[in-house]
Amino acid sequence: MGGGDADAGGEPAAAQATLHIRCTNGSKFAVRADLGATVGTFKAIVADSCDVPAPQQRLIYKGRILKDEQTLASYGVETDHTIHMVRGAAPPPASTAPAANQEPTTAAPASSPAAGLGGLLQNLGATGAAANSGGLGLFGSGLPELDHMQQQLAENPNLMREIMNMPLMQNLMNSPELIRSIIMNNPQMRELIDRNPDLAHVLNDPSIMRQTFEAVRNPELMREMMRNTDRAMSNIESSPEGFNMLRRMYETVQEPFLNATTMGSEGDRNSNPFAALLGNQGSNQARDSAANGTTTASDTTSGAPAPNTNPLPNPWGPNAGSAQGAARSPPATNTRSTTAGGPGGLGSADFGSTLGASGGGSDATFLTQVLQNPTMMQMMQNIMSNPQSMNQLLNMNPNVRNMMESNTQMREMIQNPEFIRQLTSPETLQQLISFQQSLMSQLGQQQTGQERTQSASGAGNVNLNTLMNMFSGLGAGGGLGVPNAPNVPPEELYATQLAQLQEMGFFDTQENIRALAATAGNVHAAVERLLGNMGQ
Amino acid sequence: MTLGSSGAGSSVVVPRNFRLLEELERGEKGIGDGTVSYGMDDADDIYMRSWTGTIIGPHNTVHEGRIYQLKLFCDKDYPEKPPSVRFHSRINMTCVNHETGMVDPRKFGLLANWQRDYTMENILTQLKKEMAASQNRKLVQPPEGTFF
Repeated sequence: MGGGDADAGGEPAAAQATLHIRCTNGSKFAVRADLGATVGTFKAIVADSCDVPAPQQRLIYKGRILKDEQTLASYGVETDHTIHMVRGAAPPPASTAPAANQEPTTAAPASSPAAGLGGLLQNLGATGAAANSGGLGLFGSGLPELDHMQQQLAENPNLMREIMNMPLMQNLMNSPELIRSIIMNNPQMRELIDRNPDLAHVLNDPSIMRQTFEAVRNPELMREMMRNTDRAMSNIESSPEGFNMLRRMYETVQEPFLNATTMGSEGDRNSNPFAALLGNQGSNQARDSAANGTTTASDTTSGAPAPNTNPLPNPWGPNAGSAQGAARSPPATNTRSTTAGGPGGLGSADFGSTLGASGGGSDATFLTQVLQNPTMMQMMQNIMSNPQSMNQLLNMNPNVRNMMESNTQMREMIQNPEFIRQLTSPETLQQLISFQQSLMSQLGQQQTGQERTQSASGAGNVNLNTLMNMFSGLGAGGGLGVPNAPNVPPEELYATQLAQLQEMGFFDTQENIRALAATAGNVHAAVERLLGNMGQ
Repeated sequence: MTLGSSGAGSSVVVPRNFRLLEELERGEKGIGDGTVSYGMDDADDIYMRSWTGTIIGPHNTVHEGRIYQLKLFCDKDYPEKPPSVRFHSRINMTCVNHETGMVDPRKFGLLANWQRDYTMENILTQLKKEMAASQNRKLVQPPEGTFF
């Protein structure tokens, strides 16, 4: 071992050892370190010899991941031993709450994840959910499920590929004009492009747009682009005057870009046509001070819109999009009524907030405006004129698919462009909305009677909850529908189906319940499942 | 050392302890491709049975950038018989039991066709290759930092 000579005091000098660091790319280098030092200190020494900063280093020795607070000696490290190093993701910066009187900083340092073009890509990419979870999107979307969706896309790159390969998206990709018009419909984006002609050139170049879509479709390519951008950013930052250039880019391009694609302040609500989609979720600090008890006076009086720190409303709650500062009544968890309390119909908040059940139809007019938007009409026309994309849309949702398979007339109707045109006409929409409103008002009255008839309902009796589940499934692609109440015992829940199965000759009740639970009460699927089990 | 004779001539059969000490030294010196690492769990265990290994996820797969920790148990009959291998970090792989993290010897060729001269390093390297195989490279993985 590399123990030093004893000094005058008789104590041995710190054991200096030569340790070999091996990176995953095969490169190897040696560092000298004190074996009594902590792993954290050792990482700092290693950082001096390579381009991996200490917080990103993950060190492995003899199959163990070294923890920062332990010493090297505690792991049995000796001189001439090899430690493996992996470059990990940088840990998230500790979020410290700023003081009430503190001025908000405008320019982020270039190394922060949101700075410069690299951060921009990161924030807008499928994996950048953490960067801005408050409903970020190029076209100003603001769905509460955005984080979940981005996580799904990040975990399953094939999903993104499939989405991009859909005929609808192909049509979109082949018409840069359409994309440009969608982006230019956002006044804030238009203002940003007016201020930065370079961005206009990007939008006017179809090949760049196509490359961008290609990158979105191919996760490996996206990763490579991000890597190149990061490298370019660090090169720019290291050059003289480079940091200032990055800061200017952040202030003039990225910050306005993010403001254009997310919610602005209350005053911006009218200027951003996509703001209405958010309901009350994208509000600024000043308006939410009633709900945020911790907000200080200086916070509320500052002119700049502070980020909304309120939790997102429960999309299943009966008043998800309505009350802003009002206290919400606690949900009745043990009653069945919560199931249909607020069907998450159109993928955002509940029907009520989306279609204006409580707001007197202002959102309904917005919906009509959206559908009458030339861009939207063109997209609808593309879908309607292409039966293949129409079929694909219908087959995405299992509920709709089953409905279509069992009802050929329905399929013919849906594929009839004239019928679709009538369905999307403002008058029809208005009628649908009024129907939905009356349904919601009836819901409270029928709920108690519903519980009683639940167990005694006949085979053909479709109860209201089933209807609501079907509606919610239609809107949200099947995955975001109303969750079933698990409190009802399965014998009661599937009483009708169990009776049917017994008539068919399946007498094992427990097995039947298992099959029905797995198929969400679908008798035909349960029969197939039971027969499959018997065959094994 | 004991000498064993085979049809082709005589070959040296290295005793278990010597063999494990040799592997321990290789683990400490970091010999190999640098993407697998292993060492003893308990330095005081004179039988050298419990070992810890790590595999760094291969590039261009869902495992990229992840570090998987494993436990290897070399019983008294090692290296005649293969060690039992269990993933400590959660992983979704065809040859790994989803409940326990045990590597199924029947589904993992190296353990199924074990030979005396195979080492723990071979096991880890082969598992890494298995991660990059077509049936495993794109499987959706559990969140990083979760364990069996």
